[in-house]
Parts: sequence; C-alpha cells; structure tokens
Amino acid sequence: MAPRHPAEPDALRGSIDLLILKALSLEPMHGWGIGLRIEAVSRGRLEVNQGSLYPALQRLEHRGDIESDWQNTENNRRARYYSITRQGRKVLGEEVEKWKRFAATMDMILES
Amino acid sequence: MSLLKGLKARARSIFAAGATEARMEEEFRFHVEMEARRLQLAGVPVAEAQRRALVAFGGMDHHREAMRDGRGARWLEDLAGDVRYALRAVRRSPGFAAAVAVTLGIGIGINGIIFGFVNSLLFRPLPARDPRQLVAMFVVDTRSGDIGELAYDDYRDYRDRSGAFAGLAGAMGVPLNLVASAGQGAAPAAADMVWGEMVTEDYFAVLDMRPALGRLFRPSDAPQGANPFAVLSYDSWQRRFHGDSSVVGRVVRINGTEFTITGVAPRGFRGMRTFSFWPEMWVPAGMHDVIQPGSGGVLNGRGRGWMLVFGRMRPGRSIAETQRDAAAFASQLAREYAATNANFSVMLIPAAAGYDHPGFVKPRVLMLASVMGIFAAVVTLLIICANLANMQLARAAARAREIAIRLSLGCSRARLTRQLVVESLVLAIPGALVAAFIVRLSPFLEQYMVPRLQFRVGLNAAPDYRVALFTALAGVLAVALFGLAPALRASRPDLVPALSSVIGEKRRGARQGGRLRGVLVVSQLAMSVILLVGGTLFVRSLFAARGADLGFDASDRLLMSVNLGLQNKDEQRGRRFYDDVLTRTRALPAVVSAAWAFPVPFDTYGRGLSLYVEGAHTRSKDGTIVIDGSWVSEDFVKAMGLRLQSGRDFTLTDSAGTPRVMVVSRSLATRLWPGKDPVGQRARLGGASGTEITVIGVVGDATFASVGTGAVARAYIPLRQRYRDWSTLVVHTRGDPAAVAPQVRSIVASLDPTLPTFGVMSMRDAVESGFSTSRMAASISGFFGVFALLIAAVGLYAVVAASVSDRTREIGVRMALGSTPSGVLRFIMWGGARLGAWGLAIGLAGAAGVAKSMGSLLFGLSPGDPVTFALVPLVLALVVLVATYLPARRAVKLDPVAALRSE
Repeated sequence: MAPRHPAEPDALRGSIDLLILKALSLEPMHGWGIGLRIEAVSRGRLEVNQGSLYPALQRLEHRGDIESDWQNTENNRRARYYSITRQGRKVLGEEVEKWKRFAATMDMILES
Repeated sequence: MSLLKGLKARARSIFAAGATEARMEEEFRFHVEMEARRLQLAGVPVAEAQRRALVAFGGMDHHREAMRDGRGARWLEDLAGDVRYALRAVRRSPGFAAAVAVTLGIGIGINGIIFGFVNSLLFRPLPARDPRQLVAMFVVDTRSGDIGELAYDDYRDYRDRSGAFAGLAGAMGVPLNLVASAGQGAAPAAADMVWGEMVTEDYFAVLDMRPALGRLFRPSDAPQGANPFAVLSYDSWQRRFHGDSSVVGRVVRINGTEFTITGVAPRGFRGMRTFSFWPEMWVPAGMHDVIQPGSGGVLNGRGRGWMLVFGRMRPGRSIAETQRDAAAFASQLAREYAATNANFSVMLIPAAAGYDHPGFVKPRVLMLASVMGIFAAVVTLLIICANLANMQLARAAARAREIAIRLSLGCSRARLTRQLVVESLVLAIPGALVAAFIVRLSPFLEQYMVPRLQFRVGLNAAPDYRVALFTALAGVLAVALFGLAPALRASRPDLVPALSSVIGEKRRGARQGGRLRGVLVVSQLAMSVILLVGGTLFVRSLFAARGADLGFDASDRLLMSVNLGLQNKDEQRGRRFYDDVLTRTRALPAVVSAAWAFPVPFDTYGRGLSLYVEGAHTRSKDGTIVIDGSWVSEDFVKAMGLRLQSGRDFTLTDSAGTPRVMVVSRSLATRLWPGKDPVGQRARLGGASGTEITVIGVVGDATFASVGTGAVARAYIPLRQRYRDWSTLVVHTRGDPAAVAPQVRSIVASLDPTLPTFGVMSMRDAVESGFSTSRMAASISGFFGVFALLIAAVGLYAVVAASVSDRTREIGVRMALGSTPSGVLRFIMWGGARLGAWGLAIGLAGAAGVAKSMGSLLFGLSPGDPVTFALVPLVLALVVLVATYLPARRAVKLDPVAALRSE
C-alpha cells in the first residue's frame, strides 16, 4: 500500500475553505481564477499551493457549500466554473463571524 | 437543497469515477495553461513559464491522491485490496478457515433455529389480510375476575348489533370421526378420529384468507344444517390426501354424515390458538346438530359459553377504542338479559399472531426449557466467538512485527483495523452459508422436539424472513465480537518492543496479547463448564427417569382408544359396547387380562376430578381438592400392572345403583388421610354437598407423564358407576402386543364397523414417546456441553502453543542453565493448568446457579447432584491436561541452541 500523504493542518484547511467561499461570494469562477483572486486580495501574504485548491473545492462541493458546471471562458475555452450555494453563503457568514471573534479574542489577549 | 446537491456530487464522484477523473485532469491542465499564459503575458519565455506554472501548482500526483481520498474512491479500492489480501490469507490456512466456517456456522445456526421457534410462537402473523386488525374476545366475570369463552347468543348479538367490529367469528374444537379415502386407487376408506373446529360461517371471511384450493366458507352459507361442507387444513391435505387437487368436491363422512370438501385453507394456517392442536378440518357450526346431536348449549345460551371468538376491528379503530365499544355493548346486554349477563364484561387481546386464553398459563416446563435453550445457544455462540477471537489474536501476534513495520511506515490504525475486520468478514461468509443450511433443518428438528401426541401440535418452525434477518444479525454481531476486539488490540502494539524484537529483545506486546487471550480461554472454559453441567444433569435425569419404577407394568400391554361420542352412541349402547369388547377380548387365547381405562399412563389427554374431604388442607374457596382421575373398569389393577397395596380392585358389582367407590394412589391417600388407614375413608364428589364416595383400595403411585411427575395423586373411578364415552382398552397380552392388535381391532370392527380406533400401540411405545421430548432435551444439551468443551479445549491448546512459541528463547535459556525436560514441561503446563483452574472455578459457580433454576426439570436428582459436580471437573481436568500437554511436549523437544538463536 502506498504511504498516505499527511493531510494539511486543520487551521489551514479551514482557512482555504473560507477564502474560497469568500472569493466565490462575489461571482462564479473557475479554479485558476479563485487562486488568482486569493493571491490578489491577500497581496501575496498568503501563499497557497495552487493545486491544493482542488481537493478543497471538491470537499466544499461534496458538503453542498458550492456547486459547479462546465462553462466557456471569454476566450471560448471550456472550464469548470464554481458558484456558491445558499448554504455556502450561510456557512461563510458564520465562519467570518467566528474568525472575527477569534481574532478579537487573540487581540485582546496579546494586547493586554 | 444545497445538501442534496452535495450528496449528488458525492455520489457522482463515486459511481462515475471515470468521468470524475477526466474532469480532474481537465481542470488541472486548464489551470496550468492559464497560469503559463499569464506568465507569458508578463514576459516570461514560453518554456520557463510552463515550468514555473507547474511548480506553482505543486505536486500533481499529490493533489490527485488528495482528491481521490476525498471522494471515497480510495476507500473502495482499499476494500478490494483488503478482500484480496484476506482471501490470500484464507488460502494460506484452509484448515483455520474451515474451522471458522464450521464452528461459526453451527453457533449462528443454532441461534437461528432457536429464534425460529420463538418466532413461530410469538411473531409470525396469521396468513390473513391485515392481521394486526384481528382481536380475540373473552367474557370477564366482574365479580370473580374469571375469564371465559362467549356463549353463542351473546356472540351473535356482538356480531350483529354492537357495531364494535367489522366482523366477528367463533370457533369450537371438536373431535371428528372422518371416513375418507386418500384418492382413487388408494386404500379403502378407513375411519379415523381427527381434531377439527366447528366454526361460524363467517370465520374465513373475517380472516379474509385466500384458499390454497377451492373455496372457503362464505357468510352466505348461512342456513343452519343445510351446508354439509368441510374445509381441509393445508397440512391435512398434504398428509391425508397427498396434496391431490381433485380433493375439492370429494364427499367424505364426518360422524356418519356426508360432507363435501369445498377447499383447502392457506398454507401455515393452523387455527387461531397458539398452544393447541392443529385443526385438520373446519366444519360449519350450523352443522352442529348433525355433528354432535343431543349436546346442547353450543348454538345458544348467554353469559359464559364455548365459543372462541375473534373479530376484525373497524378500519382506523384502535384496540382500546374497540374494547370501549364492546364493553359498552356488554353493559347493554347486562341490562337486556340481567338474569344471565348481569355481571359480565368483555376483554379484547391482540390476535395478529394467534392467541391463547389470557388465563392460560404456558406450561412452566416449556417456558423453562425455552429459556434454557436460548441460554445454551447464546453461550455456545459466545464460546465460539471467544475461540475465534483467540485464534485471530494468535494470528495477529504472529504478524506483530509486520503490523509494527506497517504502522511505523505511516499506515493508519483505522486502516489496519479495517483490514483485520475485513479478514474476519471474509472468514465469516462460509460460516454464514453453513448457518443458513443449518437453520433450514429446523422443521426436521422440530419433529423430534415436539411431543408426539394423538393430534398434531407443533411450532411450524419453517424459517421465514424474520429468521433470516435474525441469523444475519447474529452473524454480524459474532464477527464484530471475534473480529473487532483482536483487530483493535493488534493494531495498537507497542511499536518499540515489537520492532526491537528484530534485534532480539523480549516481546512485551505479544505478552499483553497473551493476557487477553488467557482471559478469553478462561471465559470459554467457564461457559463450557456451565453447559456441561447442564447437559450432564439432563442426561442423568433422563437415565434416572428411565430407570425409575413407573408403578405399572409397561411390558406386553396393548392400548387402543375409542370415542363413542363420535358415533352418537347413547349411554346404554355405549355400556353394551364396552362390555362386548371386554368379553370378546378376554376370550382371546393370547390375552391375560383386559380393562377399560381413561386416561392411561402417558396418555395425550388428562382428566381432573374435584373431591371434598372433611378436614383436608386446600387453598380453593369451596374447600375442594382438584386431582387427576382415571375412569376404569373392573380388573384395571391387573390389566395395567398396578400394585394393589390394600383393599380390592373394582368388580362387576361396583355398578350404577350401588354406593360410589374409588381406588386411590398411595400419595393421594397420604395427602388426604395422613396416618390413617385410607380404606373405608369417605370423600364427596365436586363439593361439600356432593355424592359420597368411599375408598375401597389403595394402589402404588404410577407415573402418568414424563416430566413434572414427583408423587402423583390420582383417584381411579369405576366406569360402571360413571359412564364416559371415551376410553382406552388396556390389554395384557401373552407375547408381542402388536400380534394381538389386529384381533382386537377386528373385534371392534365387528361390533361397529365405522367406529374409528386411535392410539393403537404398545404401552412400551407410549412410554417411549412420552420420553421423546426429554430424550431430545438431553441429547441437545449433551451435544451443547461436549461441543462447547471441545471448542474451549482447542482455545486452550492454541494459547499454550502460542506461549511456547513466544517463549522459545526463554525456554532455551532455562534449558541451557540446566533445567530438566520435565522441569520445562511442568513450567509450561502450569500456565495452562492455571487457566483451567480459573475456568473451572468460575464455571462451577455459574453452573450451580443455572442448575438451581433447572431444578423443576430434573427427575430424581437434586440440582447439586454430587455425581455431576464431581464428573464435570474430572472431565475438564482431563481435557486441560491433554490440551496443555501436547503443545508443552513441543517445548521439551526444542534444541536449546536453536532456541537461543531464534528471533
């Protein structure tokens, strides 16, 4: 049996999910576009291994937070476009809330 | 909605694996191309852009694997791998696999059979439409709380006027004299007594059954006495008419009148009552006057009667609501017919799977035997599981190093556990097939377990889907028991010692596995001691019962029963018939003596008698004592081979018109008149104001039934003083009773050619069949005990053998340091003996408890039977000795040098 690859740490996995949902909450996008968007908004501070987006996308789709279908790009190339579902929006809202609370708590602890 | 989309996506990814893979590849390619194009636009040369895009994407294989893992395809692939691996393991050790298949199959199969019996009694619904809507109805005497059957006029009113039921039907069991030919070319029609039911014409309509053949009764068959129709039971159709479909329309004679068979009831329908005879046929209650002329109170009367009534509830009504409606109607009847119904209400009970009288106490023996059977079956399965767990542990221990290496290489515990569980499952599948085969044997087994009576009873334990489900569940549980625990244990070895054993350190992990296995063996031994004690007690009890003095002479005795009521003989003609048969039989050269008696020892039927005796202790309100009675002719003491202890036998002069007399058994005499001479004592029949009856003789106690005997109090009443139309001729013959049977039969036939005789057999055979159930119980429990012990012995052997191979090095050191072979033998065997001692101690404690609760099933021995409790430890000690000596001998034969070099 092939040895298994160690999974990403939970914190990072969670943050990738959140970043993808955030990116898709603006408009449907294909995988490359999502990567580009994350890089742009994080201004390069968050380095995401581009390929690891795809397992995350698959996971979110299985969970029902996003859905996907084939569409054509502006250059008339077939690409898989992802869009956020209603449930995904709810999850995003909750997760953002959680992050904010977490960040605030950390702030409070570190500032005191 | 979104969740559903997610599930759909997930399902697609598993079931359309090819398309999903293609989509993944296309997405990856698209991504890298887009990235490369972006870099090119930023001025990077083509080749360099391509390279950088790939780098930024990261290890493509890594991502592919991550996605495959994520969609569960991996899970399936691994499973296939596990199954292949397990099959390889099975092929490597076919003996082990066969042992698993056989033991597990027997263990699960036995449980399936036992459940099948319970199922057919309690769970299997009647083959009627919507059986949940069926309820049985009884009347309740509100003063005494007594529960009884309905009278016909009340039944009719409930059916027609109460509005509480969608339909209401009634039945009454009757013996019938059936004269029927099995078919064209078959032997000429012979008279036979069969048990059937007289039923109201809407009986089958309320059940709403589909006939197996022909048609059933219809409510339109109503007019009384004008519908001589009969419906056969499926069972009777198969056995008596060989499943001949031309049976519909055939004319048979029932109690002398011609009836036409209109149809056959559906398969599996054996009347409404659970603990009762299986009716062979149903006849309309409207034909009552033809079937039982002169017996009143059947098709009329109020208050308490003879009708077993059941009904179908109105659609949508619950049993509580129906009960309320029926009770309200009962109050109305109480007002309308105050003289008969003033104190009667009704009681409904569910009848979906058949029913019994709510006051019917299921025979204690039967209940206890069922509990014992279930206990033995479950314990046996547990022993088998413990044994298989043990073997799996041994195999796992042998692979400890392999497992440790795989764990250290990053194989997850869950993954490893799963592989071991899959291995157990693969091993269990042949076991399940064996179990399925064994469960199918249950109807065959039932034949030997159900007592042989003069009518059909039984469980009809044909396996159905419930049995299949239960058996499958037992199998899954068994696999979980024997597969999961060792798998969890084995996948958690201490990595360091297991690995370091590579360089010759002691294996601590294996030792710990050894302890768990020790516990398993001890519990196996303990459980098998319990079963062995139970089995030995049953077998010894059977021998005690067989060896016991029956109190009568069973050799050279012929029995033959008649029911004169079937021929509508009145008392005068009946008496003459009895006398004629006796005179002619006694005149046969091969006959020593003959008498009429009913019931006889080991009879299917029994009769009670209530006596009032001044000053005798009783708990009943009216001061009477209810005892067993037999109604007998003169000479019964000689004919039955009883022992007259004082007084005299009946004579021709003890007849109607002379003062009532009786003969009592020794224990009845002791109970009623302790310390006095019973001859000459008086009692009253039926109550304080009843007819006086005088004791004229005392006979020794006779055993009339195979279980629950003890000292039986019985009174013998002269048939000449109290006529009974049902009796058994007991003939003491010279030589083989079977040789005399045709002569006696022809005497009866010459007096009344259409009178059926039944129960024609030797007394010896009657006793044998009386013991058949006990014999079966003894063989089954003996089988359980020996089987369990064998399995436990194998478990012990395996543990000792494993400890020898685990400690090869230690043994080598001991021998190198001068330990003698017998010292090593002692050292190894001591380990096994300790396990044996623990198992025995725990087992004996448990067995003492079980034996105590078995007490009332045992004949002639105490639950603490010293022979049993000495024999079982002895046998166990012997088995432990053999099971430890064989592997220990291997240790002695080890070459010390080779042993030191091992590992």
